[in-house]
Amino acid sequence: MEGEMLKGHLDMIVLAALAAGPTHGYAVIAEIRRKSGRAFDLPEGTVYPALHRLEQAGLLSSRWVTAKSGRRRRVYALTRQGERALAARRAVWRQFSDAIGGLLEGVRPSRRPA
Amino acid sequence: MIADYLAELADALSFDRRLARRVRREVEDHLREAVAEYAAEEQADAERRAIASFGDPRALARQFAAVSLARRTRHASIAVVLAVIAVLVAMKVRIAWYAAAKWTVSEDVREFAAMVLTIDRYAFWLSVIVALSAVFYIGCLRVPAVLQPHYCRRSRHIVFLCAAAALSLVVSVISDGVLTGLQFTGESREGGVVPLVSMAAEIVCVAAVILLIAGAVRQMGHTGALART
Repeated sequence: MEGEMLKGHLDMIVLAALAAGPTHGYAVIAEIRRKSGRAFDLPEGTVYPALHRLEQAGLLSSRWVTAKSGRRRRVYALTRQGERALAARRAVWRQFSDAIGGLLEGVRPSRRPA
Repeated sequence: MIADYLAELADALSFDRRLARRVRREVEDHLREAVAEYAAEEQADAERRAIASFGDPRALARQFAAVSLARRTRHASIAVVLAVIAVLVAMKVRIAWYAAAKWTVSEDVREFAAMVLTIDRYAFWLSVIVALSAVFYIGCLRVPAVLQPHYCRRSRHIVFLCAAAALSLVVSVISDGVLTGLQFTGESREGGVVPLVSMAAEIVCVAAVILLIAGAVRQMGHTGALART
């Protein structure tokens, strides 16, 4: 998938990857890869500024934990505000996707467009 | 190889040492995890692959710069608002104490005191309006994924608003200092600890705000250079 197109949706992708529960940056990237069927091919480092930005916006919280390996790692979790933001973005995305599907495939959108 | 990469990344993030420390630890954990996953490969190959997948440190620094700049400008604007509140509280405490202790300025400087008080009021309320404008502006600003010139420009506007609010507050605090000094020109002025302590609190608050704004200005310089690369 186009890198620029992906960057526009990076925040939503990261929030969605954290929807299953708190985890660290490496696992977030693995989750994005797994759920997208490896369609998203961004430099892995790109996810970290997004995590910091979302934390600053109050959508994520984070804390240091000690892994089994003994290394310290930062674990991120969705906040209530983050859960609400993800739900709102999902709804907008579905409307958008339906509308684009209607235009490109001639399928009637299942919802009213945004 | 990982140590060299981390050093390069920390160097690229040198505009924000706290952020650099945290990112370095996070990225080290990430790279070690990636190397462990590529266990079938030679150590050097696994490290090379992990680093290549992670991305260019300079490009990452540009993305982190936007986050860091947003944090600094937000801190500066919040600090200005808190300083305005602190100065207001200090002024109210001092006025209440003057009333309780029956301190008034002597007759011969009353006209001058009234003029200083007018300057004080205008400067203080100007700082309130400008500080709230900065907070409102920052609330409307979305942090971009990558540092862009237009974001730097808007951040400059916020820092300028914070600096203008701080300048007005400095004028207000100087006026407060003059008024406090005039109070001490009256007769039998013993035990004036409250005015002195409240004045000291105002000066400390304003100094802290100026330091934070200076930090934000320094950050602007670094990130402006990064945005142009």
